[in-house]
Amino acid sequence: MTRPPPDTLAQQLTGLLGQCALKNQRAFEDLYRLTSSKLYGVALRILRRQDWAEEVLQECYVNIWNHAGNYAQAKSAPLTWMTSIVRNRSLDWLRRPRAEATGEEYEIAVEAWQDDAPGPMEQLMASSEAAALARCLQQLESKQRQSIMLAFFNGLSHSELADHMKLPLGTVKTWVRRGLERLKGCLGEPA
Amino acid sequence: MASYQNPQLRDRLAAEYVLGTLRGRARARFESLMRYDPALRRLVSDWEARVTPLAVAAGEIAPPARVWAALSRRIAGARPDAGARGLAFWRGLAVTSTAFVLILATFIGMAPKPEPPMAMVAVMNDDKGQPAMVVSWPPMKGMRDPHIRIKVVQAHPVMAPGTSWEMWMLPGGQAAPVSMGLISIDRDQVMRIQPALAEKMGGAWGIAMSVEPEKGSPTGVPTGPVIFKGQCVKIL
Repeated sequence: MTRPPPDTLAQQLTGLLGQCALKNQRAFEDLYRLTSSKLYGVALRILRRQDWAEEVLQECYVNIWNHAGNYAQAKSAPLTWMTSIVRNRSLDWLRRPRAEATGEEYEIAVEAWQDDAPGPMEQLMASSEAAALARCLQQLESKQRQSIMLAFFNGLSHSELADHMKLPLGTVKTWVRRGLERLKGCLGEPA
Repeated sequence: MASYQNPQLRDRLAAEYVLGTLRGRARARFESLMRYDPALRRLVSDWEARVTPLAVAAGEIAPPARVWAALSRRIAGARPDAGARGLAFWRGLAVTSTAFVLILATFIGMAPKPEPPMAMVAVMNDDKGQPAMVVSWPPMKGMRDPHIRIKVVQAHPVMAPGTSWEMWMLPGGQAAPVSMGLISIDRDQVMRIQPALAEKMGGAWGIAMSVEPEKGSPTGVPTGPVIFKGQCVKIL
């Protein structure tokens, strides 16, 4: 599959969001076609259940459709803006009572990309947008990196991280905090 | 609870909000603070710019087709879209342009809210007299974001690379055409127009499309061939 280089994609998405603000359904369809696999992956990793991820994805696209006009004020790249909407909605979703995903459902949900998908780190290294981030992540201590990656990709809270890594809560919190500080130092201020 | 004015704390909370480790009531509280605190929102978007590429690089997985099916139903009510009936409908319509406008006007008249009803419509014909594009616009008075809708009715010459198509409002009489803007893709779209032009749209006599250099006509009047034109009809 060929895909446009990142800058072109960003420009294209910005244009499509502009059209969505004017309620152009064709543009919305294009936007969905270009971004839904990325955003579904984001939601599925956090929610670990296909039915939830589908519901959240749908809600988020309705949101994007309704608020595309706000994108003009956001200073972020279009995909960052959209991804943040999906991440925030997914994390809110987990706040609901009984929103507990079992490991089994997760395995089922991610099965589709298990086979040929390289790990997040390899993908990150291969992606030009994220190259600086990958470099900085590699400079972190492995525990810091691991806790940040787990929190970010899988939507784990501090206490879930502590359970998962079998470490005291305070320790995990400190790793996350120091890891983030170092990451910021390494990446510098966003342009 | 510690003060939200402490700069280090603010940055750390922004980071943990974006990372997702800020949870529960703390997350909700942070979100409500953010609403009234632009500087805090900026910290959040800085962090989003830093770490969100991580999410994008995480790997793609196509959602099932039912997601789009449900989604397109949910947004379908948002806009009148006569084209939803399919191009075949238009193609099969062997009528004169005037009858065509009347039928189109009926569709637009039936359009569901919230989009305001169209005030005027013009069917632009190609040089063989076949309808090529339909342009319509709502009442422009008091409109914050004036725009017109362009619908492609049937196949027409393909836009050549390095050119663009410029749309012109023909005020009627001896007055010179006024540029409405450029289109760079030959498909259905919405085009914003200048507020000054919007005020004049109610008096438009016709609409035309000419082929121009990529950046538009250098002289302010059509320089290339006029490929489509049509008369405006008031429907409201």
